[in-house]
Amino acid sequence: MSEPVTAAEVQRLAEIIGLPIEAEVLATVAEQLTALLAAARLFADFSLPEDVAPAPVYHP
Amino acid sequence: MSTGARGAVEIADAVRARRTSAREVATAALAEIEAHNGALNCFTRVTRERAHEDAARVDRLVAEGRDPGPLAGVPFGAKNLFDVAGVTTLAGSRINAERPPAQRDAAAVAALRRAGAVLVGCQNMDEYAYGFTTENTHYGPTRNPHDRGRVAGGSSGGSAAAVAAGLVPLSLGSDTNGSIRVPAALCGVFGLKPTYGRVSRTGVALFAASLDHVGPFARSVRDLALTFDALQGPDPTDPACAERPAEPCTRELDRGVDDLRIAVADGYFARLAEPAALVAAERVGRALKATRRVAIPEALRARAAAMVITASEGAQLHLDDLKRRPGDFDPLTRDRFRSGALLPASLYVHAQRFRAWFRERVREVFRDVDVILMPTTPYGAPPIGAPRATMVAGIEVLTRGHLGVFTSPLSFVGVPVMSVPVADAGPLPLGVQLVAAPFMEARLFRVAARLEADGIVAAPVASARG
Repeated sequence: MSEPVTAAEVQRLAEIIGLPIEAEVLATVAEQLTALLAAARLFADFSLPEDVAPAPVYHP
Repeated sequence: MSTGARGAVEIADAVRARRTSAREVATAALAEIEAHNGALNCFTRVTRERAHEDAARVDRLVAEGRDPGPLAGVPFGAKNLFDVAGVTTLAGSRINAERPPAQRDAAAVAALRRAGAVLVGCQNMDEYAYGFTTENTHYGPTRNPHDRGRVAGGSSGGSAAAVAAGLVPLSLGSDTNGSIRVPAALCGVFGLKPTYGRVSRTGVALFAASLDHVGPFARSVRDLALTFDALQGPDPTDPACAERPAEPCTRELDRGVDDLRIAVADGYFARLAEPAALVAAERVGRALKATRRVAIPEALRARAAAMVITASEGAQLHLDDLKRRPGDFDPLTRDRFRSGALLPASLYVHAQRFRAWFRERVREVFRDVDVILMPTTPYGAPPIGAPRATMVAGIEVLTRGHLGVFTSPLSFVGVPVMSVPVADAGPLPLGVQLVAAPFMEARLFRVAARLEADGIVAAPVASARG
């Protein structure tokens, strides 16, 4: 997650989920995704105890 | 004095005492909006007919000797993501403009109506609440009533600006990462983001359900308390709404602050801001004799996790439209939603687990302190159309995104936060956040009331309303 995401990678990922993205904004989306992944690295590398459950609680 | 320049308490008292009628108040508020909205663009829809009908209902109750409610005849506006019966809920978008009108009012709108308040219109916002500036491409930017060349903040910009300009004494907004507190600070008014689950979101267009809150804006602490008391409490129709009974705050306002342990936040919350913002927080701290400093651990990671949850949930909510009709999105939000759609699920789940861990750390902080102070925004309102990046403390930051640097770690954990407008903060308004443990809103109101009584915070009607 340390390398910037490329326009080609965005195009491939978007195709996988069926999300059309115009060629002229692929680089912009790549920049946005790079920023999100950089933010994610801040907490994804942070070790949590295994017994920490996700915050939302489902009430049946 | 204009109707909006009068406070909610003053108006309600006058209506109940028959010194004026709700119909006269509504007519005057509608005239204020007519006169100034062209320059400010706070309202996307004025509900003139409904306002007259609701005002007539209040006047009938008064005439019959029945209780018209604590907000009798008080005009208010609601961000246009709140359902209003008979009006299409835009949520700042062009896409939603094609939807049929809402069948009923959102729970918060209905609660204020039950309290006697009179809805006068629906207010501008960033598309789908994804922004901090209300520079909406479809409906135009909302202009700051203190300097019309600057943004009002967002995403509840129309709601904050309308209160600041004296068009209405009260507004409703929503806050996912700072969307009540940022515009409150930039427009120089009071804004409350209650505890997560304290106020029902039923009938509100969601953005990121894990983080979405609704709350009020006002120009005095008592008006804000009266409004919050009308809003708070359980609602079984909102699965996120707490079952905890309402805990009225209006009656707490005069209790003083002598028994409260108040501290100023340092570390993360005392850097990456312009000096004026930090000075404002220090000034409020001195006024409260708060000599203690506290750190909220891992706030930077909390903000990062909030970004990932917001991007993931927001993108999922709009994925179908992103696939079918991307050209109808605001260019300012579309590509951010798209990038959120491409995030791996593992990061989203990790962010939610981190949130649970962070909640425990924040609970630990509040064992030793009752209220924490920190700036609301790192700087005052940027110009409309400002460059994408700006320099703060020698570091390049995103001009718009960085507005939420101090607000998003707090909404992430769901604690109640009030942004108070610091008196004479400089050429532009600045706010300071008062933060308490979950469901301890009353402590925020007690501190805000003391600051207001001492002249440290104030929300005079803005002078550049056009």
